Amino acid sequence: MAGLTLSPEIRGQFSAIARVRWQLFVNSLRTIRGRMEVVARGFMFLGFGMGAIVGSIGLGATAWYFVSSGRVDWLSVLLWPVFLFWQLFPVMASAFTEKVDSSNLLRFPLTFPSYFLIRIAYGSLDPSTAMGSLWLLGMAIGIAWASPALFLTAAPVLLLFAIFNILLARMLFTWVERWLAQRRTREILGIFFLFMVIGVQFIGPLVRHFGNRSQPAVSHFVVQALPIERLLPTGLVAQTIAHSLRGDNAFALGSFALLCAYTLAVLWLLNLRLRAQYLGENLSEAVARTTAPATKQQIRLGWNIPGVPGPVSAVLEKEIHYLSRSGPTLFTLVMPLVVLLIFRFSPGKSDSAGGLLGHASDLAFPIGAAYTLLILTNLVFNSFGADAGGIQFYFVSPVRFREILMGKNLTHALVLAAEMAFVWAGASLMYRPPPWDILLATVTGVFFALVVNLTAGNLLSVYTPKKVDLAALGRQRASQVTALVSLGIQAAVLGLCALAILVARAYHHIWLAAIIFVALAAIALVVYFLVLDRIDAIVLQRREAMITELCRA
Amino acid sequence: MSTSAAIAAPAISTEHLTRRFGDLVAVQDVNLRVAPGQFFGFLGPNGAGKSTTIKMLTGLLAPSSGRMQILGIDLTQDSVKVKRQIGVVPEGMALFGRLTGSEYLNFVGRMYGLDRTTAAKRTAELLDFMQLVDQPRALVTDYSHGMQKKLALAAAVIHGPKILFLDEPFEGVDAIASNTLKSMLQNMIARGATIFLTSHVLEIVERLCSHVAIIHRGKLVAQGSLEELRAGVEAQAAAALTAAGAPYEIDSSAPAPGEKLTLEQIFLRIVGGTRRADQELSWLG
Repeated sequence: MAGLTLSPEIRGQFSAIARVRWQLFVNSLRTIRGRMEVVARGFMFLGFGMGAIVGSIGLGATAWYFVSSGRVDWLSVLLWPVFLFWQLFPVMASAFTEKVDSSNLLRFPLTFPSYFLIRIAYGSLDPSTAMGSLWLLGMAIGIAWASPALFLTAAPVLLLFAIFNILLARMLFTWVERWLAQRRTREILGIFFLFMVIGVQFIGPLVRHFGNRSQPAVSHFVVQALPIERLLPTGLVAQTIAHSLRGDNAFALGSFALLCAYTLAVLWLLNLRLRAQYLGENLSEAVARTTAPATKQQIRLGWNIPGVPGPVSAVLEKEIHYLSRSGPTLFTLVMPLVVLLIFRFSPGKSDSAGGLLGHASDLAFPIGAAYTLLILTNLVFNSFGADAGGIQFYFVSPVRFREILMGKNLTHALVLAAEMAFVWAGASLMYRPPPWDILLATVTGVFFALVVNLTAGNLLSVYTPKKVDLAALGRQRASQVTALVSLGIQAAVLGLCALAILVARAYHHIWLAAIIFVALAAIALVVYFLVLDRIDAIVLQRREAMITELCRA
Repeated sequence: MSTSAAIAAPAISTEHLTRRFGDLVAVQDVNLRVAPGQFFGFLGPNGAGKSTTIKMLTGLLAPSSGRMQILGIDLTQDSVKVKRQIGVVPEGMALFGRLTGSEYLNFVGRMYGLDRTTAAKRTAELLDFMQLVDQPRALVTDYSHGMQKKLALAAAVIHGPKILFLDEPFEGVDAIASNTLKSMLQNMIARGATIFLTSHVLEIVERLCSHVAIIHRGKLVAQGSLEELRAGVEAQAAAALTAAGAPYEIDSSAPAPGEKLTLEQIFLRIVGGTRRADQELSWLG
């Protein structure tokens, strides 16, 4: 990284980039949608701000306690969550992460060091960086409070740990970005992420499962793992502080040097990726040419669904093709069964054989169904997001948006129905088949919630569409406004469902809830069709905004 | 196509078509008439209002005022009836990236009301004609730009439209693909279809189009057959010569003696696009 001094030219470039980003923000406020997005971001900022403050206080107090009580080595227990959040959050929730289009930057005469610095600086205010830094600051204050002399060691080592995290997050992101750039690697990465997400869900139950038993094998594993942990960055931070407190300055320096080595290794890996980008790496995917002579292709007939008009069938077929090619979406379909498995293997209150739901196994199906409904809902709130430029076709085709949305809604309803059947089978196998009254109440409740979601989803898909890539993981699936509104709608639907169940329980007849849900669903259906009848007029009013958003590069 | 026939039953006609974006009047009072069977080129400098006009004519954009009739049907009154009879290749090509070429064409065919068998049959023929058969499993998103253009054109004609609207169909297309597109368009014209295209490649427009309209700063400044436009420009030049007593040779776009004005020369004369030869940028050597 020689030549990293800020020459007037580089300073000029930095100030130009900062200025253009500010102008982009100001320009975004010209539209109502832009202003609403800022308000929605404000709410997100408040949430993250609270997390940062509460986390800082909690970590600071715990660090103070560890140092005061002579358990300095235990600091690494606090550093692990910070480290994991810092690294996983940008990848799992990249909607909140700044993305840089290298091709835009590289058109300009940037030197590699300034390109490198810009890539590091971008996103320095990401939630993970801001919150991670504040948490470490809280820890530094907690340590200094307990032992003021230790601050001189804790401050630089925690600062280095922060730098390590920033570089590691950037490094991971650039490599993930590289793998996401190509469809094949993207899908392999998708599978990896799914297993990671599923794996994370199992950590809690497994810890509880093994934690409740004093198994010699577990203790043996922990004893063997501890020395290794001390050689990892989090352990090294704790070791540096602990050795310094004990006056073992040589060991403290050694730990610090090893942490420096980790940081340099990450810097080197990041440098590799950024240099490849700087040298004009092109990851575009071209279709391989075939040498065989072209023969006339046999075209499969489109789907024919009895009683469903041709265009609606065509939309349904197209939607199913899209879903079947979206790794992340397919993976979400597995999640309800995973949740049931987690409940099955979580120890219950009295360690019953049925797991967490051992004493209430009748609830397995309702819980699985509710979870299915929640995770599939985000698809209907941004129905045109994955169509991107294809939205123009809908506008020039002789098919009304009423039919297009019916095709999309029918797809969603069929996927939900199929998923519910899987959940029912899973719940029946893992626990026992739900009683008929609970089954009826659940199915009718889900139907009511589905109709409400489709109605609201159709409107939000038109009013606040957002272009999305269904093939990419961790990308934002809807606009911030849609996310907030859908949250409110889910809360209202769940509230109504809870009320219906309470009424039914008061009369000791769960099937009464089914009657209430049917009545609510009938009302929701009337509203659904009223909205559907008006949707073409609404779409015509919104067409320019829709095309602009969905066709943007 | 005689002038009287064109007036009697235009394929495309607009009356006082206007579109405003805030204070900007992108298209102002445009009165277009395109006769059935014409290969019509719609030209204009960047930002003149070409794309805005074609978007309004195809239902992608609402006009601020004025009327549009396609095949005698008011677009705002019965847009579905109009859309059944037109094919469109818009600026963004309107493709669905995560379908294969055949799935996309099949889908489009069925959206235009073709039965399953016809849609599949025409899909196979179009893929063959457009030389897109050797990538049956490739997704549209993985196609090259030229392949996407060919696919977009195939989708626009799968239902046999009477009018075809093409926004910059030759942009970014190589000579081979361009040749395929041109031969298909000429076949359509031979069978009586009307084609309305915008393009910056004036040589192609000159070779393909029988009639041309030029829009400049949102206003229609010329409309007619190439010969009519040429005659108009030459008459204007002759009038200027008589008035000033000097030839217009100061203009570099003047034709050599005995040669006809090319479409490019006509275009530059009409929109006044010639730049002073002595005009330079101070910092460029």
